[in-house]
Amino acid sequence: MTQTQKYSSTAITLHWLIALMIAVAFLVGLYVADLELSPWKLKVLTWHKWTGVTIFLLVLFRILWRLSHRPPEMPAGMSDLMKKLAHLTHLAIYLLMVIVPILGWLHSSAAGVSVVYFNLITLPDLVGKDKALSHLFGELHENGAWALVGLVGLHVAAALKHQLVDKDNLLARMRW
Amino acid sequence: MTRLDRIVVAVLLLAGGAAWGSGLVPEKSSLSFVGKQMGAPVEGRFRYFDGDIVFKPADLAHSHARIDVDLASIDLASDESESEIKGKSWFHVATHPKAVFESTGIRALGGDRYEVKGRLTVKGVTRELTLPLQVHSVGGSTVAEGSTVLRRTDFNVGEGVWADPDSVALEVRVNYKMTLKP
Repeated sequence: MTQTQKYSSTAITLHWLIALMIAVAFLVGLYVADLELSPWKLKVLTWHKWTGVTIFLLVLFRILWRLSHRPPEMPAGMSDLMKKLAHLTHLAIYLLMVIVPILGWLHSSAAGVSVVYFNLITLPDLVGKDKALSHLFGELHENGAWALVGLVGLHVAAALKHQLVDKDNLLARMRW
Repeated sequence: MTRLDRIVVAVLLLAGGAAWGSGLVPEKSSLSFVGKQMGAPVEGRFRYFDGDIVFKPADLAHSHARIDVDLASIDLASDESESEIKGKSWFHVATHPKAVFESTGIRALGGDRYEVKGRLTVKGVTRELTLPLQVHSVGGSTVAEGSTVLRRTDFNVGEGVWADPDSVALEVRVNYKMTLKP
């Protein structure tokens, strides 16, 4: 493989870092949703919010990076339909990576709880306190997170298919 | 009623209307608060409260205020938080459904500023406090508003695991705005 067929090391780092953080945020989110209200729950919930804000910022940077750095071409052996599906999946993942944290932020704002990033920066409340809205945003945040994880599952399955079935060594593009 | 009586009543009513506000208009009044959980501001309010307020700037000795707050009417925009705060560790509304403020004296501070001394009872604990008040007129009604900071643990609100100030701060800013009947 030549150099142009690989992602840039910045893109590779962002990819794996964000993947890891999304996995952590997702699992912590599932865990905290089932906890009884307690000081521990408030702590974990706060960490979950900080993780979410960090992911959001990294994703914004990643989108700027992606728009300004041409990614490697898709493998030549792929049909146009498969290429289109892969692009759509990537686009949907990007969209959800932006939307899910915003839904979490909306959920918190509507619950009357401001988000204070690392106890330092108070994020503006996106909406006023409203119980019904808070509940709705909570549901959407959760469903969005499940959709994101589902798409990531599809993404992983496709990558493994390329690696193990097509044997086109696609994963090498995402290695440092 | 003689004619003279009628005039006297009319004059008294007019004078009364101009000189003081009495009674409370709950739908034009608000009682909200801002606490902090894990360092992040949390807003809430009480939907229902009522009061008996007589406010005469020219006769503060005969002015007084009593506010009854229905603690179960708390709005925290989350069923989970609301059921927790009504529970034993917090307000314990089953045994202490109301918080009551009863004034003991009102003092003019000059201009539109006043100071109300009184007793606040929450969860069976009564404490003296002094509330700053700014009074102005809105469309013929008297509006008295201000804010103060209460320490929730002074009233045993948030006991046990919740006594830890790191998860929920002890200080709570309470904002009040009372519109009086014209």
